[in-house]
Amino acid sequence: MPEMIAVENINKKFGDTEVLKDLNGKVEKGQVICVIGPSGGGKSTFLRCLNLLEKPTSGKISFEGTELTALNESQINQLREKMGMVFQSFNLFSNMTVVENVKLAPIKVKKMANDDAQKLAVKLLDQVGLADKADQYPASLSGGQQQRVAIARALAMNPDVMLFDEPTSALDPEMVGEVLKVMQDLANQGMTMVVVTHEMGFAKNVADEVWFMDGGVFAEKGTPDQIFEHPQNERTQDFLAKILEA
Amino acid sequence: MKKLMSWLMLVVTVSVALLGVFAQPTYAATAVTDDSLARVKEKGTLVMGTSPDYPPYEFLVNRGGKERVVGMDVDIAKKIAKDLGVKLVIKQMDFDSLLVALETNKVDMVISGMSPTAARKKSIDFSKVYYKGGQSIIINKADKGIYKNKNSFQNKAVGAQTGSIQYNLGKNQIKGSTVKGLAKISDLILALKSHKVEGVIMEEPSAQAYVDNDPDLAMINGKFSLSSGENNTAIGFQKGSTSLVNAVNKSVDEINQKNLTKSYLKHAGTFMKTNTKNTSMWHYAGYFVKGVEYTLLITVVSVFFGILLGILFALMRLSKMKLIHGLGVAYIEFVRGTPLMIQVMFVYFGIGLFINIPALIAGIIAVSLNSAAYVAEIIRGGINSVAKGQTEAARSLGLSQQQTFVSVVFPQALKNIWPALGNEFVSLIKESSIVSIIGVTDLIYQLKAVQTATYKGVIPIIVAMIIYFVLTFSLSKVLNHYERKMKHDA
Repeated sequence: MPEMIAVENINKKFGDTEVLKDLNGKVEKGQVICVIGPSGGGKSTFLRCLNLLEKPTSGKISFEGTELTALNESQINQLREKMGMVFQSFNLFSNMTVVENVKLAPIKVKKMANDDAQKLAVKLLDQVGLADKADQYPASLSGGQQQRVAIARALAMNPDVMLFDEPTSALDPEMVGEVLKVMQDLANQGMTMVVVTHEMGFAKNVADEVWFMDGGVFAEKGTPDQIFEHPQNERTQDFLAKILEA
Repeated sequence: MKKLMSWLMLVVTVSVALLGVFAQPTYAATAVTDDSLARVKEKGTLVMGTSPDYPPYEFLVNRGGKERVVGMDVDIAKKIAKDLGVKLVIKQMDFDSLLVALETNKVDMVISGMSPTAARKKSIDFSKVYYKGGQSIIINKADKGIYKNKNSFQNKAVGAQTGSIQYNLGKNQIKGSTVKGLAKISDLILALKSHKVEGVIMEEPSAQAYVDNDPDLAMINGKFSLSSGENNTAIGFQKGSTSLVNAVNKSVDEINQKNLTKSYLKHAGTFMKTNTKNTSMWHYAGYFVKGVEYTLLITVVSVFFGILLGILFALMRLSKMKLIHGLGVAYIEFVRGTPLMIQVMFVYFGIGLFINIPALIAGIIAVSLNSAAYVAEIIRGGINSVAKGQTEAARSLGLSQQQTFVSVVFPQALKNIWPALGNEFVSLIKESSIVSIIGVTDLIYQLKAVQTATYKGVIPIIVAMIIYFVLTFSLSKVLNHYERKMKHDA
């Protein structure tokens, strides 16, 4: 099976601080990878390196056989449209209505006709259960609703992979479920996903592989069963023990 | 620290270079062979510079809603133009600006009740004297018992037009007095009436005109000791234009021989009578309407270019390329660090040395360039205020940097800066009034014209004040409307 994403020896430094240390990993088509670990361990930085929102200091990142780290700006733009991203803080465009948020990239980047983009947007909003909010502005939506719009917006570019950066961390507890449900549906449809999350239940049930990250390295990788039931690494055991206590 | 020093060095170098560039042509212009007469004949027009607030020499009258400059000096200019066989063009500006206008070729000659003093002769040439008048002092009629001549004003405040002979007379010949200089005679009369000054020094015919038209004023003979240059009036020319001076002197000789000034003064008097018959502000509505037109024209055009250039300079300043960033910073800091008034004069007179720009265009250019610097800073603040996540979300969808800016960042920045931007436009309406110094007939300029024409000081000020308020208040209302429209927050 061809790799969707391959990461080889990437390092990332902010000034003198080493955030990522010699990371390696492969994501295959249709796989759901959950990245877990304590805060400040480099999870988000790793995810943001995958679509080059952060440029790695050294190392190679390949996407569908193309080496991202060797591309120029406009080539990167073309590849980014195939990698949808969902942020912790939603980042819906506050100057546009919900449907305009979803339509923007298809119209601007794919040069889709407005009518087609409108149909697509309505279909995707329906898929995340928000077709009735199409003409509202983001500020009038709840956090959970905003995050579902953000997912629809990313899906509008018909991406090959979806990157989720702690998509439920900024939500009130009662809204976490609705977002996870949408993500689970996506996984069931065969979408390739890399999810940075603190939702252990989601990781257990949905992930094909769980990568435990701490101190800028992948301390342990394995199936959910291996990581959650039989963790080998001391740090993994430590982390899971704390989570269960809480 | 090192960075600051290199900046200072750059600024100094640029300034010196500019000075060098602009200083040279002035010398060059005086050194070239004299083709002044040929030039006037070739273009077929004789451009006269004058400050029309000095009746009966030159002042404004309203004829059927249109204003024109009339007076003895205008009649003289007409005769000269006729003798030379060319068309007369009159350019109005402040008395202060007349000498610069000659030096920078804005006008061919200055006839503005100007005396050929030794100091002025150093920088310009003069024709023969066409009129001799004494120097008088205007006082409030109620004070007639107190003031007899210049010696009565010891340790008192007197007024005179800035840059005029009368100003120097007051300074040098009245012991212990304070001389208050204002650009407009009409303002001096106001100062007199409100006892800011006790007397206004003025040439006799002008003084006579004011006294004839205002029952509250009286005039006395100043009894100044006058050298030949100081009670005479002559026509000013750019230094070295001997051929033009000689040609004009023929007309002046004829004027003197036939004593034509007498009939010219009489002619001017007829305008002054019609002026004083109608001093209601409604009669001068046309003045104010024209003033509003120009003020709005300057503001609207300047706002448009101010925003365009402001965006450009803001982006330059935000650029990661060092040179472009540096140019953006230098422009913004330099423009914000110098007064608009000087910028207006620089564009009109300075750049005017190379390209002849009409006053209105020069005013618009200066105000636009000035506004651009302030708008740039507002826009930069607005761009910085847009959350980084918005850009990241747009880039992650595949939008390019430009698409992200146009569709996402700029609209949000605009919403954030709208109140500050609105504030800038409101103040632009008011600040654009500075262009009146180069003779652009905006609202302030027209206000002064009405003051001169009606011999009324305060009422035109109130009218102009109300007009300005209506303009700025309406604009604020419109801007508020759009501010509400852009608000999408819950």
